[in-house]
Amino acid sequence: MRSTRPLFGFLLGTVMLLGLIDASPTEAQTPKRGGTLRVSYGNEIAGLDFHTSPGYEMMWVGMNVGCGLINITPDGKFVPDAAESWQMSSDGLLYTFKLRKNVLFHDGTPVDAAAVKFSIERIMDPATKSGMRPFYESVHSVEVLDPLTVQVRLKHPYAFMFHMLAGYRTGLVLYSPTATQKYTVEDRKQGKPEAVVGCGPFKLVEWVKGSHLVMDRFDKYFEPGRPYVDRVMIRVIKDPVTEMAAFKNGEIDFIASFSPDHVDTLKAQSPKAHIMSGKETTPMVAQMKVTVPKDGKPMSVERAPHPIFGDVRVRKAVGCYGIDRQEIVKIAFKGQATPWVGMAPPGTLESVNVNHVCPYDQGKAKALLAEAGYGPAKPLTLELMTNNEKSVFSVIATVVKEQLARVGVTANIRVVDKVSWMNTTLQDGPWDMYVEDLLSLLTIDSNGYLSTAYVSKNSSVWSHPRHTDTKVDDYYARYAREMDSAKRKAIGKELLEYMADKMYWNTVSGSPFYMVSQPWVKGYVYNAEFEVHWDRVWLDK
Amino acid sequence: MRTYLLKRLLQIIPTVLGITFVVFVMMRSIPGDPVVSLLGDAYTEENAIKARHDYGLDKPILLQYVIWLGKLVQGDWGTSILSGRPVLKDVMLRLPVTLELIVLSMAVALAIAIPAAIIGALRQNTWADYGATSVAMVGVSIPEFFLGVLLLLVFSVGMGGALPSSGWVYLPGTCQTVVCAAGLWGNTQHVLMPALALGVGRAALLTRLLRASMLEVIRSEYVTTARAKGLSERPVIFKHALKNALIPTVTVMGLQVGFLIGGAIVVETLFAMPGLGTYGIDAIIARDYQQVQGFALITAFAFVVINLIVDLTYTFLDPRIRYT
Repeated sequence: MRSTRPLFGFLLGTVMLLGLIDASPTEAQTPKRGGTLRVSYGNEIAGLDFHTSPGYEMMWVGMNVGCGLINITPDGKFVPDAAESWQMSSDGLLYTFKLRKNVLFHDGTPVDAAAVKFSIERIMDPATKSGMRPFYESVHSVEVLDPLTVQVRLKHPYAFMFHMLAGYRTGLVLYSPTATQKYTVEDRKQGKPEAVVGCGPFKLVEWVKGSHLVMDRFDKYFEPGRPYVDRVMIRVIKDPVTEMAAFKNGEIDFIASFSPDHVDTLKAQSPKAHIMSGKETTPMVAQMKVTVPKDGKPMSVERAPHPIFGDVRVRKAVGCYGIDRQEIVKIAFKGQATPWVGMAPPGTLESVNVNHVCPYDQGKAKALLAEAGYGPAKPLTLELMTNNEKSVFSVIATVVKEQLARVGVTANIRVVDKVSWMNTTLQDGPWDMYVEDLLSLLTIDSNGYLSTAYVSKNSSVWSHPRHTDTKVDDYYARYAREMDSAKRKAIGKELLEYMADKMYWNTVSGSPFYMVSQPWVKGYVYNAEFEVHWDRVWLDK
Repeated sequence: MRTYLLKRLLQIIPTVLGITFVVFVMMRSIPGDPVVSLLGDAYTEENAIKARHDYGLDKPILLQYVIWLGKLVQGDWGTSILSGRPVLKDVMLRLPVTLELIVLSMAVALAIAIPAAIIGALRQNTWADYGATSVAMVGVSIPEFFLGVLLLLVFSVGMGGALPSSGWVYLPGTCQTVVCAAGLWGNTQHVLMPALALGVGRAALLTRLLRASMLEVIRSEYVTTARAKGLSERPVIFKHALKNALIPTVTVMGLQVGFLIGGAIVVETLFAMPGLGTYGIDAIIARDYQQVQGFALITAFAFVVINLIVDLTYTFLDPRIRYT
């Protein structure tokens, strides 16, 4: 074993490309204590079991009610949370975490090695049905060495173990074993404060679905003096016009996720608003289905090529050369996004620009379509599905339709609601192409969609295009297990180019993410969707 | 009267059950599966099958309905599939907000409609009449969401936050949560714009209807008789004409409750109010069957009861009407 810090230098030689962040200026002011931070969410919280409930809205609560072992900073450094130090063995198979003394859960029980073991094993238990379980696939066992030392043994090296523990979804959220065993998962889902017991800076006071969520300062939080605010009050305001009005009136202090369509209006209405953003970490995709069930039964293992996009020439003609990404960004995002081809967006760690693989080229698109047998005599018609969750999806679908018409392809747009879209795509339903933005990606590895490797790990449903190319599995396995950062980056680049070349994954641009705060909100450190912590926030008013 | 009332009360049961049954079947017939929303990232075929079994969604629809009904009889409205929260508790939390919004919207509607209709009828074919009719036409034509946004931009953004844009302050004594704001003034400020947004459209409709009724009534013989008796114009209009003219209007008001509930979905979403409207729409979008059933049950019940009250109001407006 060797010390952690030099190893991280080796592991994380590359600084995260999280972008030119317009983060809060770090004023040399003494933080003031007290007050209520009023936060608005654009969507409702689905549930409050941090290991199983879906959605960013839940995650941002989980990151403040819960604590984990480590956190990740915007520049990709790992910093202590409940663990004060950590080490990785030279073979990358043993991770040892030394916990801080006197860290307490909100129910007064200690955060010790047994609690860490309990929490990791809970996520790994198939009965828990945690979406994080596939990322713990490499974990062999968790051992308690002493009350403050816990060791995680892996089956094989996993280069993103720290990233995963720090920032995949909520990161690892430690649960009080006492409270978790005493109360049911239903109690946690519905947000009973006595059941949702973490070790974070805020303790849950009340969640009234559709109305508010309240968290109060946990006075025994292990970071002395923090959090600064007495209370965080979250309200759901779905309409951006109302959200802007509430912001302008000073009814809210912080918008956790703001609609990109309305940023210009917000700037005009509230010139002093502090708008935070960075390089995109979420891909906006125009995905194409590669295979369909041979026997017509959804999710069948026996696959046949999709009638249109089973042919790589058509995929490339339509998704690669037939789409003008610059134009999409100009029209749909008013230029405030990055035209992109690679599976991992520009803000994702170790992402590289592979736009050269897919230049906009109508001639090439037409030639490939002709080669595949399509032309004036046999025009290609396809269905372009999207959902009504965000208005920008329909705009992009319309632009794509227009662009495809230029190469002789007719795209019929079908707008469905989000749940119907999820049903169709997750359950292997009939679709040709869809427009949607998918999960924010901290690393290339955090994309659970990319590989067929996940097929055998019960996550095959998320591989919407359902390609059957095992070469992607090999790339993924080599990439995630390569501990040498230079070698790993090279594999990553190859993987991104291969996915673009085969059009198994079709990104059209990054999907911008914005947070907004009032000028009197100080100390917030912007780290996209990955780390939303309010313990350093204070109110200067 | 008592027999009639009993009959009508008994009729509520099959009506409400019929509505809940139709909603139950329709929700399960439309595309979408609550398990998808429930599992999110953890969605796998295996987990989905397990979750469907856990929530009884793998049983035949009719059996599911019978189970739901059986629990309902015992006072159990079920729990939300997505959040795990008891439906009855959430419905009761949200009911006062929507009830207040609907009552005040109707009050707004009547406050505008009655004077406008009287003026329109008494001064038929004058500028006052044309004005009232035109305003009514405009009111009918403006959708709630559009008027709501306009009000928001004027009173919340344009006038330096004269009225709060969103949220809710409960009437004193109605708050059921640990943390909540309560107060009469705060409540008034919060409900004003939503009630206007919802009420103006109804006002326009009622104005047109009431004006037409008033025109008919003021030409009837008993009004002429009242005037001939030497009664002053005020009692003739308010005591004799208006009361009778109100009967068709009251009928429509009862039916308008359905539209108000529909409008409440839009208005509550726009003003971020924690009412039943947002509860219902969230449930439908997420396919949260139990939550949808709770919403359907309470709104159907409210609709039927309000229409019963409307029917009973006729006896007050026209003593000749007797129920047997």
